[in-house]
Amino acid sequence: MKLISVLDHLAAAPAAPPAPRRALLAQLGRAAAAALPVGLAARPAAAAPTDTPFDAVTQLLLLERVQQAFYAQALAVPGLVPAAQVPGFQRLLLHQTQHAAFLTLALQNAGAAVPPAPAFDFSGRRGVATNPVLFPNVLSAYDEFLALAQQLEDLGVRLYQGRAFAIVSDNQLAGAVRRMYAVEARHSAHVRGLRQGRGVAVKTWPSPTDDAIVRPPAAQALTLAATGGEDNTTQYLTAGIPVPFAYLLPTNGSLAVQATAVAEAFDEPITGAAAQAALDLFS
Amino acid sequence: MSEHTFSPAWRARSLGRRGFLRVSAASAATVALVAATGCGSTNTPQPIAPSPYQLVLPAGDPGLVYFAYLLALAQATLYQRVIDSPPGDLTTAERAVFADLRDHEVVYRELFKSTIDPTRSKDVLPADFAFNPASLALSSRAGVLAAAQQFEDLAAAGYPVLLLLVTTAGALLQTVLLKAGSVHARHAATVRNLLAPGSFADADVVEPTGTLAGQARTKTPVEVMAALAPYFAPYVISVANLAVPA
Repeated sequence: MKLISVLDHLAAAPAAPPAPRRALLAQLGRAAAAALPVGLAARPAAAAPTDTPFDAVTQLLLLERVQQAFYAQALAVPGLVPAAQVPGFQRLLLHQTQHAAFLTLALQNAGAAVPPAPAFDFSGRRGVATNPVLFPNVLSAYDEFLALAQQLEDLGVRLYQGRAFAIVSDNQLAGAVRRMYAVEARHSAHVRGLRQGRGVAVKTWPSPTDDAIVRPPAAQALTLAATGGEDNTTQYLTAGIPVPFAYLLPTNGSLAVQATAVAEAFDEPITGAAAQAALDLFS
Repeated sequence: MSEHTFSPAWRARSLGRRGFLRVSAASAATVALVAATGCGSTNTPQPIAPSPYQLVLPAGDPGLVYFAYLLALAQATLYQRVIDSPPGDLTTAERAVFADLRDHEVVYRELFKSTIDPTRSKDVLPADFAFNPASLALSSRAGVLAAAQQFEDLAAAGYPVLLLLVTTAGALLQTVLLKAGSVHARHAATVRNLLAPGSFADADVVEPTGTLAGQARTKTPVEVMAALAPYFAPYVISVANLAVPA
């Protein structure tokens, strides 16, 4: 296509950043071009996400912006986060800001449109005062704040995982996505640990024994995106043949493995659509 | 079947593609090193026999599975040791964490082992191969947490690289490694916070500044195996056949 070659040319122009990054972005630019409607009109923000690298990076940017906004708003509320935990959340905010900057740069360098950041509303009213509140007190009560933080971090881990397969052909971007994925997992474990300290029965990895975070029906998209399907115990290394854990794992004495171990040992991915339904609750 | 035993004679011959490959390049390098340090024509270097303790991981995805298996084997052995003889100052809650860590690593170990040997018809390692934690200080809470942190940070740093080395034909392997990789990062953050609250993503494990700011620091298979090497002695694991990160 003519458009593609134009974007390739742009990516290779002298104004483009140094070579490794250019390689990363030529790839993305190609995907972005394929995703753009004829005439270069902006993609509607609410369009169903598909599975190009452009879609993946754009959606991960939205995720990072949601998390970034949530921590920024929470840290701006005096006394919401106990003083001892402020440095931890400042670190989370810093990482999300760094991730958002990296993904923004990836889009820019590819010549792809960077979607404007929405105004986020963590009440769940989506900016409409008459809508019902889906997430009460998340910016005024610490435990409510922690519960939503956990769900957003879990969602983040699962979305990075789900999107990893869309970002494979460019080693630089693929590597970055997998490294940010690992950082999201550290964040989730930290927030879960803080909730443990507040007396909530929750492990630092999703477990079938975790206390559920109860949300109204209209907010189920978040629950599904955060932990739906995490109790899965079926894994495959050969197509069509589940790994026979019941047969493989020790059951005797001090070697016996707990029944919840298989579900806990694997984080489960989510689709772009599942993540989008959840992220849309906040804008 | 001779495949079931790991006698010296077994080690000295070539194996099927699922087994460890006998050394060739590595022993040649050893010979070359001896030759280079020889001190004169009267002292003709003698070729030395390949070490019976050299294990060479196979190329391609099978080598990556072996690599992940060895990592899980090391961790599962370490945590089993802690569970069997926990330090007196390790709290009940912390013992429960170690039980979970052990369980997860046993799940990984058995999953990867079953991939190497689906029919459970042979030993995947020599009978005397073992992870030896003797050099780790496992008699105090601080010691076991530091050891756990060392191995979890290692796994968390190794998986993001491992993921990039899986071939395009290995989608199922890639999926499982992704699922286990983030759980290792969770483990690492958990034990770090037990040892030093708030250290879950310190600058030694997450890049604080620069182009890759906010991204996990990683280790290549060569670096991970170098860190594991003291605990697998006298065996020496070669990852020379594994793909190299781009």
